[in-house]
Amino acid sequence: MCDDSVNLPPGFRFLPTDEELILHFLYRKASLLPCHPNIIPVLDPYFHDPWQLNGKALCSGNQWYFFSQMMENRVSENGYWKDLDFEQPIFTSASKQIGVKKHFLFFIGKAPSGVETSWVLQEYHLCDFGFNSSSYKRKRNPKLDCYKWVLCRVYERENNSESLCYGDDDDTGTELSYLDEMFLSLEDDLADISLPD
Amino acid sequence: MPENMSISVNGQSQVPPGFRFHPTEEELLHYYLRKKVSYEKIDLDVIRDVDLNKLEPWDIQEKCKIGTTPQNDWYFFSHKDKKYPTGTRTNRATAAGFWKATGRDKVIYSNSRRIGMRKTLVFYKGRAPHGQKSDWIMHEYRLDDNTTETTNVSNVMGEANQEEGWVVCRIFKKKNHHKTLDSPISSSISGEARSRMFNSCNEGALEEILQQVGRTCKEESEVHNNLRLFRSINSGIQNVYNDSFMKLPSLESPNSTSSQNCYQPIINIENESSVDNQASTGTFNSVYQMDSSLTNWAVLDKLVASQLNGHTETSRQLACFNEPTMGYCNPSDGQQDFQLPTLRSSSLSSNRSYHGSEDYNSEIELWNFTRSSSTLSSNDPLCHVSNRIV
Repeated sequence: MCDDSVNLPPGFRFLPTDEELILHFLYRKASLLPCHPNIIPVLDPYFHDPWQLNGKALCSGNQWYFFSQMMENRVSENGYWKDLDFEQPIFTSASKQIGVKKHFLFFIGKAPSGVETSWVLQEYHLCDFGFNSSSYKRKRNPKLDCYKWVLCRVYERENNSESLCYGDDDDTGTELSYLDEMFLSLEDDLADISLPD
Repeated sequence: MPENMSISVNGQSQVPPGFRFHPTEEELLHYYLRKKVSYEKIDLDVIRDVDLNKLEPWDIQEKCKIGTTPQNDWYFFSHKDKKYPTGTRTNRATAAGFWKATGRDKVIYSNSRRIGMRKTLVFYKGRAPHGQKSDWIMHEYRLDDNTTETTNVSNVMGEANQEEGWVVCRIFKKKNHHKTLDSPISSSISGEARSRMFNSCNEGALEEILQQVGRTCKEESEVHNNLRLFRSINSGIQNVYNDSFMKLPSLESPNSTSSQNCYQPIINIENESSVDNQASTGTFNSVYQMDSSLTNWAVLDKLVASQLNGHTETSRQLACFNEPTMGYCNPSDGQQDFQLPTLRSSSLSSNRSYHGSEDYNSEIELWNFTRSSSTLSSNDPLCHVSNRIV
């Protein structure tokens, strides 16, 4: 771990947006600029099975983050990452495209007959800054090796859970419980009667 | 704790990029509130004191900012239920409205030990009893009395009467799941918020893809599970459905399986949005209001694309039954008249049977809209979703 510079009080968690991952981490890494904080380690993901990331990659909640060099074969000791052919563009707040996120699913065994797991890899790639977003693939600058770098986020899908789980506690109270919702809707009907003077 | 943290709450606050204050209830109670009531120094002033009577929720939002990163909840210390001797003033009333408790207090446990309680309050604008309920919610956490006594804060017990009223609060805006794309919120969301919206929108699509991967090996059970789920979700639709199911198998079995496949993705939409409601606690409230509908867009598009691919096959199968079904078109039975022609036209239009239910009107509109747009981009069902958002 290279968690050497962040020592925040309890309650702070690494919950980056895609934009932050690209601009604050991947872009700086690829441009050889210092990262503040320098918390995401470089490692080769494809020699690690996802469950071996603990202690090697930056762990936040149920997610692991690390940098890697782009590779063709995403094969690990016990399996491989299968490309889901699902890319999504990443935009800045000014609606400029700065990167793309690719998705992989981990299979145990040898391709193509591996057994599907619930481990997901999201691979963040840079694209040219300031250029037309649709042509980012063709406009790579061969002099820079910055496009060799990718930032990876690995997490395990929860059974029947339909989205990323932020943090480690489902019930941190940032949403109303169903009971609360029920009371609230009841009070809508009874508002005139039940409110005290 | 070392002093190398680059964070302060007032003014020039700097939280390292990527970090957010997202404490657990246990951290709020055990770390922050306990230190507060026992006068221990809290290393960083991340949770400020707020006089609830003086600040409106939207002001608290400004005052309790942590860093420059966008937040969807805000934290502060406050005094529990101040008692006014004259008794004329409602507790927790502000200039613009008042906080009103709702529901029952929830017990907070840490390692199966009870450490405190959580009260939920809603902000009403105006004055009781004619206040207008807002989307602002407050969770007010208090330590259990005995918890305070059993820890070594007895040195301050002398002042306990004065200070025991400290609570730690979290306010946030309630998610509204029923907003449409035309909601005014869409014009006010920031670019940052929009990019987050992308994330969650596409997480839904990703899940859809992942489900498809899994579905290949357990197609059969999946269909049945989904059907069961669907039936439990909306009993109003169920009747319409059952009607069609009752009749279709009587035509011939291949036909009925193909129409089950047609229905399946619709069921997934239901599935998607209902789970979405529970799962996305990490997304921003202001953004969230559009999320579920956008997720549906993505899913709908996928669905349409997959249906277009299988469309010819289905129609061919259905065509075989055109002649036999004519026999079923009993003029005295209006309902059959209504359904069977749609079967003949295409698998897509079997959704017309939804028209009987008001609940699904919005779905239908989405559907129709999506269907027309999907003809442009059936190869990449997701791309025009992105375009539309931008």
